[in-house]
Amino acid sequence: MTNSSEHLSAAGRVLLDRRSFLTKSSTALGSVALASLLGRDGLLAASAGEPSVDLSNPYIPRPPHFPAKAKNVVVIFCAGAVSQLETWDYKPELIKWDGKPLPGGPAVTFQGPAGNLARPQYKFRQHGKTGKWVSDLIPHLAGLTDEIAFIHSLTSKTNTHGPGENFLSSGSLLDGFPSLGAWTTYALGSVSRDLPSYVAIPDPRGVPQNGANNWGPGFLPAAFQGTVMSSRRPVRHLSAQGVSSSADRASRDLLQRMNARHLEANPGDAKLSARIASYELAGRMQMSMPEISDISSEPAHIMKLYGADDTSNPDKAAFAKNCILARRLIERGVRFVQLFNGAYASGGRLNWDGHTELKEQYDVHGAILDQPCAALIKDLKQRGLLEDTLVVWCTEFGRMPFFQAGSEGRDHNPDGFTCWMTGAGVKPGVSHGETDSLGQKAVRNARPLYDFNATILHLLGLDHERLTFEHNGIARRLTNVEGHVIREMLA
Amino acid sequence: MNRTNILPALGAALLVSTGSNAEPIDFVRDVRPIFEKHCYECHSGDQRKSGLRLDVKSAAMKGGDNFGPDILPGNSKDSPLIYFVTTENEDKIMPPDGERLSDKEIAILVAWIDEGAVWPDGVDTVTLKDPADHWSYKPLIPAPDGASIDSFIEEKLAENGLHRSPPADWTSLLRRLHFDLTGLPPTPEDLGAFQSEADLDPDAAIRNAAEALLASPHYGERWAQHWLDVVRYADTHGFEVNTERPHAYPYRDYVINAFNSDIPYDRFVREQIAGDSLGADAATGFLVTASVLLPEQIGQDGPSMRLARQDALDEIVANIGQTFLGLSVSCARCHDHKFDPITAREYYGMQAFVAGVEYADREIGSPAALEARKEVDAIREELALVDSRLIGFLPLANSGTTRPMVSARQNIDRFPPREAKRVRFTVLATNELEPCIDELEVFGESGENLALASRGATAATSGQTIVADRHDLNYLNDGNYGNSRSWLSNAGSGSWVEIELPEVAMIDRVVWGRDREGQYRDRLAIDYRIEVAGADGQWHAVADASDRQPYVAGGGEDHAGFSTDGLTAAEASEATQLKEKRDRLVREVNEKQGATIAFAGQFREPDEIRLLLRGDAEQPKELVPPLVPAALGDLELDLDAPEDQRRLALADWIASPDNILTARVMVNRIWQGHFGTGLVSSPNDFGNNGMPPSHQELLDWLAAEFVRSGWSVKHMHRLIVNSETYRQSSAPRADAMEKDADNRLLWRFPSRRLEAEAIRDAILATSGRLDPQRYGRGFDLFDLRGGLSGFNPIESPSGEGLRRMIYAHKVRREPDAVFGAFDSPDGGQAVANRGESTTPIQALNLFNSTFVLDQAVALAERVEREAEGGAENHIRHAFSLVLLREPDPGEIAELLPYVEEHGLAVLARALFNTNEFLFMP
Repeated sequence: MTNSSEHLSAAGRVLLDRRSFLTKSSTALGSVALASLLGRDGLLAASAGEPSVDLSNPYIPRPPHFPAKAKNVVVIFCAGAVSQLETWDYKPELIKWDGKPLPGGPAVTFQGPAGNLARPQYKFRQHGKTGKWVSDLIPHLAGLTDEIAFIHSLTSKTNTHGPGENFLSSGSLLDGFPSLGAWTTYALGSVSRDLPSYVAIPDPRGVPQNGANNWGPGFLPAAFQGTVMSSRRPVRHLSAQGVSSSADRASRDLLQRMNARHLEANPGDAKLSARIASYELAGRMQMSMPEISDISSEPAHIMKLYGADDTSNPDKAAFAKNCILARRLIERGVRFVQLFNGAYASGGRLNWDGHTELKEQYDVHGAILDQPCAALIKDLKQRGLLEDTLVVWCTEFGRMPFFQAGSEGRDHNPDGFTCWMTGAGVKPGVSHGETDSLGQKAVRNARPLYDFNATILHLLGLDHERLTFEHNGIARRLTNVEGHVIREMLA
Repeated sequence: MNRTNILPALGAALLVSTGSNAEPIDFVRDVRPIFEKHCYECHSGDQRKSGLRLDVKSAAMKGGDNFGPDILPGNSKDSPLIYFVTTENEDKIMPPDGERLSDKEIAILVAWIDEGAVWPDGVDTVTLKDPADHWSYKPLIPAPDGASIDSFIEEKLAENGLHRSPPADWTSLLRRLHFDLTGLPPTPEDLGAFQSEADLDPDAAIRNAAEALLASPHYGERWAQHWLDVVRYADTHGFEVNTERPHAYPYRDYVINAFNSDIPYDRFVREQIAGDSLGADAATGFLVTASVLLPEQIGQDGPSMRLARQDALDEIVANIGQTFLGLSVSCARCHDHKFDPITAREYYGMQAFVAGVEYADREIGSPAALEARKEVDAIREELALVDSRLIGFLPLANSGTTRPMVSARQNIDRFPPREAKRVRFTVLATNELEPCIDELEVFGESGENLALASRGATAATSGQTIVADRHDLNYLNDGNYGNSRSWLSNAGSGSWVEIELPEVAMIDRVVWGRDREGQYRDRLAIDYRIEVAGADGQWHAVADASDRQPYVAGGGEDHAGFSTDGLTAAEASEATQLKEKRDRLVREVNEKQGATIAFAGQFREPDEIRLLLRGDAEQPKELVPPLVPAALGDLELDLDAPEDQRRLALADWIASPDNILTARVMVNRIWQGHFGTGLVSSPNDFGNNGMPPSHQELLDWLAAEFVRSGWSVKHMHRLIVNSETYRQSSAPRADAMEKDADNRLLWRFPSRRLEAEAIRDAILATSGRLDPQRYGRGFDLFDLRGGLSGFNPIESPSGEGLRRMIYAHKVRREPDAVFGAFDSPDGGQAVANRGESTTPIQALNLFNSTFVLDQAVALAERVEREAEGGAENHIRHAFSLVLLREPDPGEIAELLPYVEEHGLAVLARALFNTNEFLFMP
């Protein structure tokens, strides 16, 4: 392959001006003319990975780089760093070493001095045909392991929650980079005409540690950010408060009439018609959103399946309703749903950050996560939606095999932790990678989080190396200059 | 990688077989085809995985970032290239996917290297471009005599068979000038005056209108926003805790004022890098605009601390490189820059200039600040007096009057004066978890806190959990508030803390809180007992929670604890007045203090800066002194250069007329502000990967003119807005659309949607409710100014909430609930040119938000107040305020029935949503 860009004429460089695609190709005519010029000069191949986006109509569906296995994604994001040792990564050695110091282990970790090794706080047992060992903390999810591809050897670049959640969500430790969902929407547009393409559903207990950066557009256009809603909180501004429906209609008519006159007087400006169209889209959204978030229309057996009827555990019931909402959104063509389990920094009370009384807190968190999350997967499956929906379960990093000195909790550990996927395009019943016998560090097939994100994009038909956006002189990617698809997790 | 034993898998037979090969290996015939087949996909052209490319000799022999050189002539055994194609390690083997090299191919590579890795010159099909051979690093192109903006633009238009559009109508032109220069719409009166002058002398009318706008204080408020986008200004620290950065705004005010007073741009640059030495303290806020991890968020292990520091320094280098030089210097953090002449060593050389900068508040030394500090002291004295009087109205503990519920912020327990040597606070119950107290204060008549360790008091406790830099018994009486300076118990009910005074004193109140900074409401003592022991050591209970209102979660735990319960009417009135006075004084202190402190960085002994292999702080290499990229200049300082001298030297180098990038980059930003797109459409990247200028001669002429004018930004505005190019109509023309749909050649003025701030400001200006108050601490968009979670938007702002949006307290990453969707940057990374998206969420926000509905009502009221007559006149007046034109008769006929039936507000709401209002024509 020759290196075309180094030999491009100045004119060719101008044609390749990505910003030109983004902000200025305001007419179909402009895009067509540009495309034909590019095609004639054989330049398209060089930049074929970067989506051609008309910001006047940013949600037009765009083709993936290659046929996609998954059309939709649900990312279940467990904030606070779930301990791999209390969930998916079975380490019987740790039982033997319980209460003993780790020879050669670190003296100080994130929060302070290290204490002694501590056995898994839950009993493990084998499940399914694969005989996968899973802890009793999550019995419902444990029943699904034959469908799941695990990776036990992920690594992060940081042991701090804020940068860590940024890294998982956006591939960068720093604030202000686009989230996975924003990249996806930028790449593929939307298939739904009356719903947002990308929805973020915060945990009923609060937003995750790095808040809106987890669904932010970063430096991508704002059109690609996640829309926040939950079973408790509808999308903002769906209707005008305190305005009668007749006055509301009158304003709408007036606007339509004035805009139509203005368009007539200013023909040929596509930005004007795009804005008119956006009000029509908004009108459709106003009609469809209240219906979609009305969970009460779900039958009793579905509420029961998710645990949404569990009056003894309001947080679980609320999270279950969020899970039902996620399914309803996927059903109606929302491409990317990010479902959060766990909220902000709270000493582990509201999320998985078990520093001091891990067992006590995980008893609470496990009950909230387990049944609703497992039900979501089962429900997607029984409706045939799992055929083209990818379900991802992830957390920003793992936890140490030893307790912190003077406490009964584990400190942050970015060197070996577990996430998993199931559904469209995923190889069922596999476990890739290993941590050492105490579960501290990835020792076999260590994979940086970049690889996990590259794999998600791959399943969506996107080459993580070709999905780029020019920002401040750098063709930015979700995976920076790293990333390898984890083929072992693919069907 | 272990370089010994590099060929574990390769059999001896293979080596023997190549050894017996008589004919020497030929690079072009034998070796390159192997590279092409197996390696080029990832290691040629722009694809340089791990920095390695194998299609150009010089680059190939230098090797990749991690193990280079990869080819050691004469030594295949130790050459990483051979290791990677032969290893059994699945994670390392190359190529990672696809067909592996055959034994024969490996044998050829081994033999080629052992024969000396002969790679003849001149056989490569690709030549390596010299990254320094690039237009923006070369001198300005001299302009012909009599050149002007219009001459350059016309020349290119003519070359492409195009011509300029006719001038815009007066209304469009005036709206354009106003929005462009001040971000606010003209009034009908402005338009009337402009039209009458323009009919006589259009040039003079435009010139005079532009001068008036440039002289308006609103000009700086508009153009500072462009600058703040680039430097990603925000009023919180970012990351997970996203705490308020309360003294960030002096930098914002500095920028607004700098534009208004047209301070020369070279000075503007120098002040932002080294303003502490130049009498412009707040300007160095520029250095620390980024998100940063606060000390308590950083892990206590060494690698965490080093990574956090590197990230913090990287943000400063990135800001300097992008903002002033249009260069992505940070690309060289992990390896030499792929496109531009910046090596990794030079990147760390840039770090060394700012290696003594800490993200922190600094006392400002300007005369104004000294004056403000004096005023603050005076107000504080007055405040102490008010406080002592106000405290007199507080009900005594156990006096029969019900006292307010405990507050997480602050509680005062007042009792009759008594002799004390020791004071004990016992927690009987908390709202949740082990108790935490940020400060325990003990007062007597003097009004001074007797419990302070600095006065000799000592603290004791039943037990504690120590967390470094956060919780420690010593923080109980250190005079510092907030969670990060607090005592945390190791147990629940029954925990206690005790203060022993240095000598016996008369005391009459104890003041305590969970977190006086208002971030935390958990771990709050909701039941407690306070006891005092005098010289005799006998404990006496003086206060408890039994006479407080019962604690209710969410019942306002962060209230200030003021109540007039139990007071007579006269007392209540006096107390309320005092309370109001107190609130005013506190506000004044906060405001004045803003002038004395700025989040403008602290400067200390610089860190030792070393080249970091792959940007990894755990792999330091040689020391690097402060130095700039050699391709751009020859500035290099000693390793031990003093901190302030480093920044001054860097500032002088950037702000020199010899640094051609500096002027080019800024005139391009100014051009972009007017036309929406810069002459270089990648304003933060003038490097090899950026876009070539559409009109380089024009850009260079502007840059020369900029320097010649004494770096006057307003001079550049004048040149631009008085040009014919600027004055053209924005109407599209079919003939020109075919040739240049993107309008890069400027055959029309590029109309565009107003930005988030301009829409909000224009709605308020039109409804008549805009609060013109300038400068100072920002107003709130949310119910919180920073913190972990739960930013609830203020849906219906009033008072200072109706100020211009640039004065909003900007919470990083929390877009404004209504206008954030209009591509308002989130303060994470630099935004050098905003997108202009069109989305249904924007439509929902603008059509349905309480903000817009409120302003629609306000506009309707204004119109009814100002315009006589009936609905028809009202429509006319609303049109003139919002659209600056008369409705035509057909329009009136169409709109009238709606207004008559539903009232004027329905029209006002629609007007704020029209394209005609939302676009700069």
